[in-house]
Amino acid sequence: MNKTKLRFFTIADYEEEEIWLREQHKNGLRLIRMIPPCFFIFEECTPEDVVYRLDYKNGSQNRDYMQMFCDYGWEYFAHCVGWMYFRKPASEIQVENDGEIFSDEQSKIDMIQYVIKTRMLPVFVVFLCCVFPNWLKAVSGKLDVMGIFFGSFFSVLMVLYLYLLIHCGRKLRKLKNKYMRQ
Amino acid sequence: MEERIRRIYVPMTETGFYILFCLQTPQHGYGIGQQVKEITGNAVCISPGTMYGTLSKMEKDGLITFYAEKEKRKLYQITPLGKEILELEISRIERLYKNSKGESVHE
Repeated sequence: MNKTKLRFFTIADYEEEEIWLREQHKNGLRLIRMIPPCFFIFEECTPEDVVYRLDYKNGSQNRDYMQMFCDYGWEYFAHCVGWMYFRKPASEIQVENDGEIFSDEQSKIDMIQYVIKTRMLPVFVVFLCCVFPNWLKAVSGKLDVMGIFFGSFFSVLMVLYLYLLIHCGRKLRKLKNKYMRQ
Repeated sequence: MEERIRRIYVPMTETGFYILFCLQTPQHGYGIGQQVKEITGNAVCISPGTMYGTLSKMEKDGLITFYAEKEKRKLYQITPLGKEILELEISRIERLYKNSKGESVHE
């Protein structure tokens, strides 16, 4: 039987998402797919320790990439807004790096830079060119029904965008520093 | 050789060195990974994301080139530029090794 869970992970929370999915599998729930932004569809399975790993490809994956992960024993089972989802039973991991999809820090940093370039920058541009000016216009406009409606709508968007930009920006920088120190 | 390429690849990371070294004979990504594990006694294990990323970068910079496709896998091979870089790197490592044993190197 399928089970849907609601959980929100931002683009910077992929390490937490990997840990959470591993816990779910240990509890007998295997992820089948996601419906963005926050619905996880699981199916019931035998509880097992399975390592989950996410790679951000933003659609640039090809046949050779998929084949390579498959050769390395990673099962590809889903993708969601640019992220590729892989898993591998912990019992198949003999040396530490068998359980990782990146074996050096530079590749982890490259992935973060790719996230910043293709996700964070567009969000920032939309914020600067659309959300912020419209919010400013709406809150300084007339206080009639429409004015209040647009004012609250863009205020909610402002808060959401600000939260995402600040949270993700800080988190990605923290991750990058962590990788650089390793 | 372009100064930019030399700056990026010399000195080289262990991952980069072993990939380039193995590609003196045509090979696909997973094959390189297996060979590196074997010749280093499991000391160097290159994961698929790192392998794929490094191969793509090296191909773009002209150090390696597409050789053939075999059973859905891309085989790569080192280029003359790649060989030049590899030789530079090997002589650098030789110097390090000699110096670490207390020997001096004379040009």
